[in-house]
Amino acid sequence: MTQPHRPAARGRARSGQRSLRGSSELRLRTGLIVIAIALTFFGGRLFQLQGLDPKAYAARADAEGLVKVTLPATRGVITDRNGVPLAQTVSGRAIIADPQRTRKNAEQIARILANRLDLDYFDVLAGLRKTDKDGKPTVRFAYVARRIPAAAATAAVKAVEKAGYQGVDTQSDPLRDYPAHDVAANLIGFLDPDGKPLAGLELSFNKLLKGRDGKQTYEVGGGNRIPLGDESEVKPVNGRDLKLTLDRDVQFYAQRVLRTAVQNARAESGSAVAMDTRTGEILALADYPTFDANDPAAAAKDDRGSRALSNVYEPGSVEKVLTTSSLIDAGKVTPRTKIRIPHELPVLDRVIHDYFEHNNLRLTLAGVIAKSSNIGTVLAAEKFTHEQLWGYLDKFGLGHRSDIGLTGETRGLLPPVSTWTELTQATIAFGQGVSVNALQMAAAVNTVANGGEYIAPSLIEGRAKAGDGNEVGTDTTTRHRVVSPVAASKTASMMEMVTTEGAGTAPGAGILGYRVAGKTGTAQQVGKTCRCYDGSLAVSFAGFAPADNPRFTVYVVIQKPANGGSGGGTAGPVFRKILTYLLQKYAVQPTNTPPAALPIEW
Amino acid sequence: MSTVQQSPVRIRSARTAAAAVERARLALVPTRRTQAPRAPFAALVFVILGAGVVGLLMFNTHMQQASFYATQLQQRADRLEARSQSLDLQLDQLRDPQRLAEAGRKLGMVTPGVPAFVNLADGKVVGVPTPATPQDAMRTSPLPAQLPGFLNRKPLVIRVKAPVTPPTTATGNSAQTQTPNGTASTGTGAAADRKGAATASQGAAR
Repeated sequence: MTQPHRPAARGRARSGQRSLRGSSELRLRTGLIVIAIALTFFGGRLFQLQGLDPKAYAARADAEGLVKVTLPATRGVITDRNGVPLAQTVSGRAIIADPQRTRKNAEQIARILANRLDLDYFDVLAGLRKTDKDGKPTVRFAYVARRIPAAAATAAVKAVEKAGYQGVDTQSDPLRDYPAHDVAANLIGFLDPDGKPLAGLELSFNKLLKGRDGKQTYEVGGGNRIPLGDESEVKPVNGRDLKLTLDRDVQFYAQRVLRTAVQNARAESGSAVAMDTRTGEILALADYPTFDANDPAAAAKDDRGSRALSNVYEPGSVEKVLTTSSLIDAGKVTPRTKIRIPHELPVLDRVIHDYFEHNNLRLTLAGVIAKSSNIGTVLAAEKFTHEQLWGYLDKFGLGHRSDIGLTGETRGLLPPVSTWTELTQATIAFGQGVSVNALQMAAAVNTVANGGEYIAPSLIEGRAKAGDGNEVGTDTTTRHRVVSPVAASKTASMMEMVTTEGAGTAPGAGILGYRVAGKTGTAQQVGKTCRCYDGSLAVSFAGFAPADNPRFTVYVVIQKPANGGSGGGTAGPVFRKILTYLLQKYAVQPTNTPPAALPIEW
Repeated sequence: MSTVQQSPVRIRSARTAAAAVERARLALVPTRRTQAPRAPFAALVFVILGAGVVGLLMFNTHMQQASFYATQLQQRADRLEARSQSLDLQLDQLRDPQRLAEAGRKLGMVTPGVPAFVNLADGKVVGVPTPATPQDAMRTSPLPAQLPGFLNRKPLVIRVKAPVTPPTTATGNSAQTQTPNGTASTGTGAAADRKGAATASQGAAR
């Protein structure tokens, strides 16, 4: 029934199509023309966009909503041995302005910002009204204030906006903060306002600390990131942290005690070094004058480095410790060796005196150290050849850089043995005619404290690569033997007599209940211009405790005291205070052994 | 039909062959064009299309909202980070050894001059316990800055002979200080005003 029906239906459909097909040509042409017109327009526009000035359009397209951000790498933290930060980077903000928009209300905006952020009103005003070189108001970007803690900066800008003024904003501006201000500032250094290191560890370990900035690009619409928009990100590599061997509290205490002493003596400067005897780790390295690392511009340029490393001077009597321990090691003398000391001693064309007037004295070697007799030391040292004494002093580290990772360290000066005369040997034996820096001297005395083994001092815990490519730190420290343990302990006993009441030159440096070994030094200094001893002094004190089992070595030097100070009287108390603090802080108990009792005279 | 009688097998095979031939013969299959109702299909397409569009729209909106939310969270994280850092800074300021030293000094504390310990195990005192003295103190704050030399000159004193004057000038001076008394009292606070008045009257009495 349905079969005959179908062809009929098809036929009807066909006939309908046929009627439409009649106008197909027309349709085709019309369509073609329309499409051709449209394509011509497209082609023309394409040529206009791509052919005439493609770059400008591409740049405009990029600029539209595409945000490029540098992801700043966080600079590494510098901490003390206990992890207390000494230098750290916090997320600061810079306050920036569009002077074209802020110029009109500059006074009002400046008042708000200056009040809230404790800034200088006129500096702020200058930023808000910044013009270009010719004084034309075309500038659209100006820093108003930099490195402000983020919370304070955003609050201040909000306050400005709330007051109805526009054109002020904030921008990320990492802020280097030194929480302890001047503590260890001479070692750590500082950054300039653009974040470039200018001194200290910040400079020498910059590569390690700074890390590598990353960058990010993404599209933004109405302040929000467009999802699935173009984006790319290179993650920043943060800087490595640097751990020092310093103890912040000891460093602080040493700096304050040193400052008190330098000021009281009306001296030019001073340095104090505290070392762990057994490891050579520097626990404190204080300098005065110093500066606040948060405000380095306020200090004189000379005060921003570490004088303990850069300042060379003649060590004076402290050097006698090195001479006598070498003599004992070579078997030339013992602490009980009897020496007859004339009231003066002619050597070549000069005459050597002691600092105190005396007739002929009969001192033992221990007495020579306790009383700090130059003549006695020269007489004892006559048993050495030039080469022998030079060899020992060389091994004690004189004339060698300690290389703790800071730039600007001096080498000191130990004259080459070929230039030595009898007089050179005589004066070097008691510490004149040889130049050192404070750290060198501390390390040399530490050798005696450490049983005759020299340990290169270190400031960095672990290991780290300094700017000059050298690896430094406690892991890379070197040791070598200078004198035998017996010679070292005999020297320590002699040094103990220095702090013994009634026997030595510095009973004030002793600590009740402890056996303290020490040695005073009062050395004449060569003037800057005349190349002669100009009457200025460097007074110093070196020592360690407990004398029979040393834990800490402390060295203090005060340059050019105006009050005619002596090693025992001026530097001695500083030594005692720092050592006392160390013994107490690290809970070092007295050894409770009988103190050394060596004969002084015979 | 005759083959049927010959053999059942043959008959069967012949029949199947015939059937196969019958089956194999091509025949025009009636074109069954079922006219599926168009409405449901169109509806389905529209539904799918609509669902797609609406879904895409919702997805996009959702993403946008998530982006808003992410921005918001990021801002909040930044705020909290800034706050945490400023608190850290405060903490550092409080932990500053300088501040602690000054606080200790205010309480009258000094660093002990001689270390001594109490052994907690047996209560024994190790070392020589010695009371601290003011000499053990150190100066925690820097000395006040000195004026530079050119500002710190010694005052230039020029001695001149005292002119011979009648004693009335002294009373004249005190009278001068006394006369602004009334005006000064309005300017300064009430307490100061009373004091000022008192000293002024004293001055006058003298």
